[in-house]
Amino acid sequence: MTPKPVLITITLISLFTLGVSPYIGQIHFDNSELYNQILMQIRLPRVLLAFIVGAGLAVCGMVFQAMFHNPLATPFTLGVASGASLGAASYVFLGLSFSVLGIDGSSLAAFSGALVAISIVFAISRFRSGFSPETLLLSGVAINFFFSSLILFIQYLSNISDSFRIIRWLMGSINSVGYHDMLQLLPFVSVCIVTILWLRRELNLLMAGDDIALSRGVAVKQVRYLLFFVTSLCVGAIVALCGPIGFIGMMVPHICRLLIGSDHRWLTPATLLFGGSFLIVCDTLARTIIAPAEIPVGVITTLLGGPFFLWLLVKSRLNAA
Amino acid sequence: MTAFFTIDNLVVTIANKTLLYDISFAMAKGDYLCVIGSNGAGKSTLLKAIMSIVPLSSGSIKLNQLLLSQLKQKSLAQHISYVPQAHGHSLLFKVNEFIKMARYPYHSPFSDWSHKDQQAFDRAVTITDITSFLERQMQTLSGGEIQRVMIAAALCQQTPLLLLDEPTSFLDPHHQVEVHNLIRDLNQQHNISVIEVSHDLNHACQHSQHILALKQGKTLWYGNSSEFMNTQQLNQLYDQQFVFATHPQTGAKVALTSEFK
Repeated sequence: MTPKPVLITITLISLFTLGVSPYIGQIHFDNSELYNQILMQIRLPRVLLAFIVGAGLAVCGMVFQAMFHNPLATPFTLGVASGASLGAASYVFLGLSFSVLGIDGSSLAAFSGALVAISIVFAISRFRSGFSPETLLLSGVAINFFFSSLILFIQYLSNISDSFRIIRWLMGSINSVGYHDMLQLLPFVSVCIVTILWLRRELNLLMAGDDIALSRGVAVKQVRYLLFFVTSLCVGAIVALCGPIGFIGMMVPHICRLLIGSDHRWLTPATLLFGGSFLIVCDTLARTIIAPAEIPVGVITTLLGGPFFLWLLVKSRLNAA
Repeated sequence: MTAFFTIDNLVVTIANKTLLYDISFAMAKGDYLCVIGSNGAGKSTLLKAIMSIVPLSSGSIKLNQLLLSQLKQKSLAQHISYVPQAHGHSLLFKVNEFIKMARYPYHSPFSDWSHKDQQAFDRAVTITDITSFLERQMQTLSGGEIQRVMIAAALCQQTPLLLLDEPTSFLDPHHQVEVHNLIRDLNQQHNISVIEVSHDLNHACQHSQHILALKQGKTLWYGNSSEFMNTQQLNQLYDQQFVFATHPQTGAKVALTSEFK
């Protein structure tokens, strides 16, 4: 398959998803003032937010998979999202409320948590060269457990309403009214995506291994730090706002790689479009399946992602054998 | 001899372990140097230090009077290319994609594939004779094919110096000869200087011009390949007795491991 028609198809599908999903919901189309209000102030911003979140998470997952040469490595499996969650939960628990340069404090807290987690993962992966991917993933599991128990502890100490807030938020959901949240998130995700598009050639070479990347002239260390920084920024901002929405970052890039190949010049736009529209579809399901109640979208993505993870694990074991 | 490539008093220490002690040598343009020695002698580390994959602790490496430590990785890659040891994780690229990626040092984030890039690419795939499998996935290639693709990619980088780390170690005799001949052609006909790490003693002595023998990170011997083969040196280098025979066709001196202690 040549990449161009595949990318065009993915683009058309995402435009279709973006265009149609705001019209899907409990209240059906009529020309009333109320309906327009719901459409423009509730559904449309929510669909746009889902797109941005999905695109951001998918692209960050793609970067991790390339950097660690492993389809199972994502900000989630390596504990970066839990780090961000811990940061955001601490912010709620400590009753903090501040903002720097118009950026919400919870985003900054989540970003710091993500950076801490990513530094731990990075230190472990550098600890000994030739570190096996399995060990890296296991250390990700350990980091996840560690941060999760800290979050549980925070929750235990919190009062009932904060505790409930933390639980709901940990499930991961796209729940916002109006355009404020979306606009708050947009710069983080944009910076991240632009950087990744800029570094498409470097990503290709990193995927071939550090030695090859260096011998082709990639300043591996600097590129890696820059990528860690922008992905932490992106994941931190998303987690602070929507909670940890799992598995998008693993499934989407993997599917896109099967569809369009591993060249990041094509893979990056495909992943961001596919990730965005995939989360729109999941979120539309989340708000319609048991309407008027809704399921946290994180529950849906995790229900899909768990089996997918196992499938990948079994497949990679079979390939290794 | 005008020194094209010189290493002076190179020391490499990683995690408190010194892997290379005080290595010095100089190469003329068009030279073919084989680095030999037992496992863990620091041969691969030497190549990695030259390619700036591992950091130097002290000493200097110069190419055409340029101090390599002052170059950015990208400009370094315009001068030196490197074929690593056959490595574990699979490469998820098509052959032609992988080779084209080797033009990275000549590109900026906005530049397009140029005529010059295409020329370098065509030349590399012609010399290495891989035009028939350019469309194949890297994972489906055999050991010999992979090695040729890796060399083609390094050639596509168009550097005057080529580093090769055990390019024939996992190949059958036929493919070993094929890759050896390819390297010799690159050196003799295309005037590319070569530093090759090898475990194939006889190949090293017959095909290269100079030999650097390393033992536990130190230079044991450096000089003309034709002068290398003698019992004492080989014994010292590998802690193994050798005997010599004459190649029935070429008359070259061939080393064989001794059957007796």
